[in-house]
Amino acid sequence: MVQRRVEKGLLEPLAQKEKERSRFSRARMPPQERRVRVTQAAVTLDASGRAYMAFAVDVRRGTEWHENDVVGCAYPQTGALFVKHGDAYRPAEILLGKDVDVAPNVCTPAKARS
Amino acid sequence: MAPHGSRRRASKLRPCANIPPKLRAFIRVQACVWNRVRADGLRLLFLGAMTLGAAFIIASSLAYFDFSELPPFAIEKLPVRFSTLWLASLRVHVTAALVSLPLCILLMTRMVQRRRAVHRWLGRAAGVIILFALAPSGAVLAFDAKGGAFVTAGFLLSDALVAFFMVKGIAAARRRDLVTHRRAMGHVFAQMSVAVTSRAMLMALDVAGVSPDLAYVLALWLPVVGSAAAAEMFYGVWHSKVRFLGRMTHGLSKVVRSLGSWTTSHERSKVALRPRAPARSVVRVGR
Repeated sequence: MVQRRVEKGLLEPLAQKEKERSRFSRARMPPQERRVRVTQAAVTLDASGRAYMAFAVDVRRGTEWHENDVVGCAYPQTGALFVKHGDAYRPAEILLGKDVDVAPNVCTPAKARS
Repeated sequence: MAPHGSRRRASKLRPCANIPPKLRAFIRVQACVWNRVRADGLRLLFLGAMTLGAAFIIASSLAYFDFSELPPFAIEKLPVRFSTLWLASLRVHVTAALVSLPLCILLMTRMVQRRRAVHRWLGRAAGVIILFALAPSGAVLAFDAKGGAFVTAGFLLSDALVAFFMVKGIAAARRRDLVTHRRAMGHVFAQMSVAVTSRAMLMALDVAGVSPDLAYVLALWLPVVGSAAAAEMFYGVWHSKVRFLGRMTHGLSKVVRSLGSWTTSHERSKVALRPRAPARSVVRVGR
């Protein structure tokens, strides 16, 4: 379910956006393929008590797969997606070009916070 | 009879001279495009490729002016230490490049070079944009270049070459030293062309399956160093040296030939004494 949500909510719009943009740029070339891996078997609760599942996106360049090109988490109840950008998590729309702020207290398990 | 060199010079001055009048009237060659392509082919090809590349860059840079969205390059780079300064520098750099690259291409065309006033004013505009917008913003961006210190050094080197030769070229133009001006502006244009060649290389290396990190380093350093070498070869000291060596070789071969003909005639003179023909006059055709 999380995998489907990430594919629909992130990978498909991202592929569409990359198809539209010019490749004659210094920006990184789009990969040949992307795949989603859900890296948790069960949900985890964050500091606000909401359940989330971590995921990673691997990319294929040529014949090689590169793991963890994007890492993030999905909230199954709301369908919200967050990705790690720099040291913080932001809504996944950042990868689609939306200027969004850092989302505090997401994708971090409650017990890990001091 | 006109000397060989002056005939060549005449045909250079009048590009239609070697097309028979009947044929000229028949095919109606306007401005003798073929002669110009033959004489200036490599240069026209390069300027054509640069124009095409500049058009692609302009098309792909429109995303930078959509202020509601972050451009893909910025998404990849952010967050950086001074993100406001970095983003402002990126937009200044892109804007300056979009104006100055086409200006530089125009300035390198014979058409503009023949029109002194136009060349002068376009050159001033390009100089101001490059020195006060493109180079400083490029230096700011270089410090956060992806690929680390080696890539930063490459961008800074290219930036420094552009700024140094632009100042040198302007100073040379002001004191009417056109040889130095030509060489300096050749270097500026060569480094400006890195924007096109580097992107083309990035695409080619991606198709070849080279890893993006290595491709980024190769697609920066090879064009920067290659362009500097090419500029030096076509406009600089190297070019003069090659010409000098060419002249020396030519002179030496003449001496060897004349020595050969002297020994032959000396041998013959033992058999029958004949007056030697006067040496043919040599007219050098230089630029």
